[in-house]
Amino acid sequence: MTSFKTFLLAAPFAFVAFAPTISLAQDFPADLVEKGRYLATASDCVACHTAKGGKPMAGGLAIDSPVGTIMSTNITPSKETGIGNYTEAQFSDAVRKGVRADGANLYPAMPYTAYSFMSDADVHAMYAYFMKGVAPVEAKNAETSLPFPMNIRASMIGWNLLFRNNTPLSDDPKQSAEWNRGRYLAEGAAHCATCHTPRGAFMQEKASLNLSGAQVGPWYAPDITSDKVTGIGSWSQDELVTYLKTGRLAGKAQAAGSMGEAITHSFQHLTDADLKAIATYVESVPSAHPAAAATGATRFDQGKPVNELAALRGKGFDNGMKGAHSGAQIFSANCASCHGFNGQGTADGYYPSIFHNSATAGSNASNLIATILYGVERETESGHVFMPPFGDQPNALTQLDNVEVASLANYILKDYGNSKLTVTAHDVGVIREGGPKSDIVTLARIGMGAGALVVLALIAMAVILPRRGRAGADKANA
Amino acid sequence: MVTKTSADVIVVGTGVVGVVIAEQLIDAGHSVLMIEAGPRVTRAEVVENWRNAPLGVKGDTSVAYPPRPWAPHPTGADKPEDAYLQFTGPDPYDQTFIRYAGGSTWHWAGTSWRLTPEDMRLHSLYGVGRDWAFDYDTLEPYYVRTEHKLGISGPSDRALQWPQTGARSAPYLMPSFPFSPGEQKFTEVVKTLGYTNIPVAQARNSGMPYDGRPACCANNNCVPVCPVAAKYDAETSLGRLERKGVTLLVDSVVYKVETNAQNKIEAVHFYDQHKESHRITGKLFVLACNGLENPKLLLMSANDRNPNGVANSSDQVGRNMMDHPARTLTVTTKEPFWSGLGPVVNSGIMETSQGAFRSEHAGAYFRYNNFARNRFVTFAALKKGLVGKALDEEIRRMTACTADIVAAHEVLPDPNNRLTLSAKKDWLGLPKPSIHYDVGEYVRKSAETYSLPIGKQIAAAMGAIDVKITPKFSNSKHIMGGTIMGKDASNSVVDVDCRAHDHENLFIPGGGAMASTACGNSTITMTALAIKAADAIVAQMRGA
Repeated sequence: MTSFKTFLLAAPFAFVAFAPTISLAQDFPADLVEKGRYLATASDCVACHTAKGGKPMAGGLAIDSPVGTIMSTNITPSKETGIGNYTEAQFSDAVRKGVRADGANLYPAMPYTAYSFMSDADVHAMYAYFMKGVAPVEAKNAETSLPFPMNIRASMIGWNLLFRNNTPLSDDPKQSAEWNRGRYLAEGAAHCATCHTPRGAFMQEKASLNLSGAQVGPWYAPDITSDKVTGIGSWSQDELVTYLKTGRLAGKAQAAGSMGEAITHSFQHLTDADLKAIATYVESVPSAHPAAAATGATRFDQGKPVNELAALRGKGFDNGMKGAHSGAQIFSANCASCHGFNGQGTADGYYPSIFHNSATAGSNASNLIATILYGVERETESGHVFMPPFGDQPNALTQLDNVEVASLANYILKDYGNSKLTVTAHDVGVIREGGPKSDIVTLARIGMGAGALVVLALIAMAVILPRRGRAGADKANA
Repeated sequence: MVTKTSADVIVVGTGVVGVVIAEQLIDAGHSVLMIEAGPRVTRAEVVENWRNAPLGVKGDTSVAYPPRPWAPHPTGADKPEDAYLQFTGPDPYDQTFIRYAGGSTWHWAGTSWRLTPEDMRLHSLYGVGRDWAFDYDTLEPYYVRTEHKLGISGPSDRALQWPQTGARSAPYLMPSFPFSPGEQKFTEVVKTLGYTNIPVAQARNSGMPYDGRPACCANNNCVPVCPVAAKYDAETSLGRLERKGVTLLVDSVVYKVETNAQNKIEAVHFYDQHKESHRITGKLFVLACNGLENPKLLLMSANDRNPNGVANSSDQVGRNMMDHPARTLTVTTKEPFWSGLGPVVNSGIMETSQGAFRSEHAGAYFRYNNFARNRFVTFAALKKGLVGKALDEEIRRMTACTADIVAAHEVLPDPNNRLTLSAKKDWLGLPKPSIHYDVGEYVRKSAETYSLPIGKQIAAAMGAIDVKITPKFSNSKHIMGGTIMGKDASNSVVDVDCRAHDHENLFIPGGGAMASTACGNSTITMTALAIKAADAIVAQMRGA
């Protein structure tokens, strides 16, 4: 989720057209500020606009995209370095139209396409919160320099004409108040579609495939439609609420990557009524695959407890790594100490089972590979969940190379997960580098004459497929 | 291949003492080069070495860490005449340590008892041993920094903290671990005798991640290796140190410390695994090999200016070798106790280490070992000729109904307990360490009149139907004393900052500097001394 929400409020090549309008010295009632805080939480602004270990909303998080590193910006009310001089109209345009105070266009990594559904009243509350509820931090925005032609922000004007929604969502009178509230939050502030909806040729969300699953950098945001096989149609409303509140559903799924951050910073803090409303709406979203209706195993009920220890014990580590059972030995060495020698997890589900787990039985292996390479982290009221990474981080429990991760992943897929999938070392390398890349930059440069659409697609791509983890991690560890 | 041959600071050894100092120095802007005798291995390999080992050899933790030929360390497999450590005294000095990158914290239990103020003033208060060159209050801030550096969990209840007589200036970072069923029962039993079994402060993540390491998930495998790095070990720092710019040479055995005309350290020399010699120069040198390898290296480095060995004008290098001599009571009870849930060492009675009796004999710390017992009792069950279900049931019964109570004693510094260079050579042709060791009357008297009587009393209160006491003192693998600290350069090796009295640019921090042992494990004090030394080094480098 976070990956999509990068918002470039400050451009490195600032063509400042006019001085920012000075905001009116305005006082807002405390309950309005509080309402704004809740909406900003639901919108998860903090996840992207806060550097690791940095001050809230002060920006500075490095976000690696396939075409360069983007730095998130300071959205505290600092008049010098933040958005303290924004009028409410300027704030509203930035949040809902993707246009910042100086008139420059934002890239849609900031999910203004979703926030565009938010009401005037809610944006008013958010403005009150950002002006009065956030502590101003003097922190200059770090330079973002994307390569040509990525730096042509004006191209977004055309994209917005084609794809931007310009009106807040109005209730559907045929649906319940709960459903309408749920749709308003899910499609607006919580911006589920930003990650979970596949994109078209110009990186616009494909409305017909709403929430049916999409790749987000190294992670795959799975199908969360009501499809009973490919989606979460087999979950009850209570189960989805539990997942959003705690980040896990024992024996089925757990949140990692950007979803782990969304649970940590956003969903767990929403009211039960709002979580129920979101669940009601999400579980009504129709399947994108009506033909595949309701047969076959879901990603939540595949695999079984099993091990290959008898085949490798006593032969020594080096031999174990050479043979056919290297995946089993890597599992024993690195995974079994928490997840159990049979992949069974713990009785309380704190350490999830490797079978009956959406991470190992998805429609592709991205989340399995990403979990191994990047680990899992989220914080909720019930504690700080942390699975260490096995990539090239300094705190990786063991730094597994691509061949080793592939062996491990194939061992897990065979018995515990989606046995139809196999993983190659190359697949692991792609996830290690932050997810599938596009050669669209090169194509765009060659085909500049071919028209603006390529540029347009390229710009959308760059911001819509940012890879957050690696740049952030490297920076934090530098 | 050696690509770098010089740095501001050269650190020999990559255990906890070496890495703590190296990190502080690189953070202060100095270039650091670390030299490790042994190999660098992955945690995965160590874990699988252990899991692949048959039960019969698991009494020897070194099976998870097979020594390289050029960097021998003690193993259980060697005959005494072939062993790396040679003994000449009445008692063995049978230590376990490993020469691997990351050092012996790979297989420590994580136990982190502080010294008490009294532990540091044995001579003033009880007329035995030595006083430390500074007091507890001087050491206390370094304990706090150690607790933060290593991630030490412990009780928040002041009444359950150790020491009771010395202040704590900061709380523990994480809560103490819950007691296993056996520990709970043991705690109740000893309470009836007037003793308080308190939670061990331990370098292990309790219920939360810390410093990029996960929470303990209770594998009960702390010794010989924490499979998930929830327990601090120095290996967990190595990747971070390298990212910060520390150069790490492994499989490189330092065998000589070279002095110059001003009798400062000029260089160290090491053999690589092909027996080729290399010379590494620097401005300042830190020997962080451990309390046994440090004195060996200093003695091996004897030259014309330092005929008794480097840093040895006092003739105290290699003397005062200390440990925590232990006696173990294996208790069989009628009712099940069940140890094994949680960390392998998780609680202890420390109050028995203190008292006016210390003018007469050693104090003792009683530890209910929380190792799962099945590993230890299986052979006894097999010897009974049982098979099938009967065998399973007997293993289960003995796992539940046996327990080890360990009485660990303090030992006094005695110059006759001495490490020298053996005539026997290792694979590289370097002399093996030879140790003359006698636990002494102070310890023997404690066992006879104090610790074993208390141990038997505890065993009886536990409802013991059988008690077996180890006939001899065993070693606790806590190497202390060989480069002892003191203010007087004529009878000590290092000063209050672990700087060699004889060489201003040589630091020898760690357990070797400890002037008393007390009864608790030594690592936290070694590390506190390392941080104190690092402060002094940073100040000294600034002035340089």
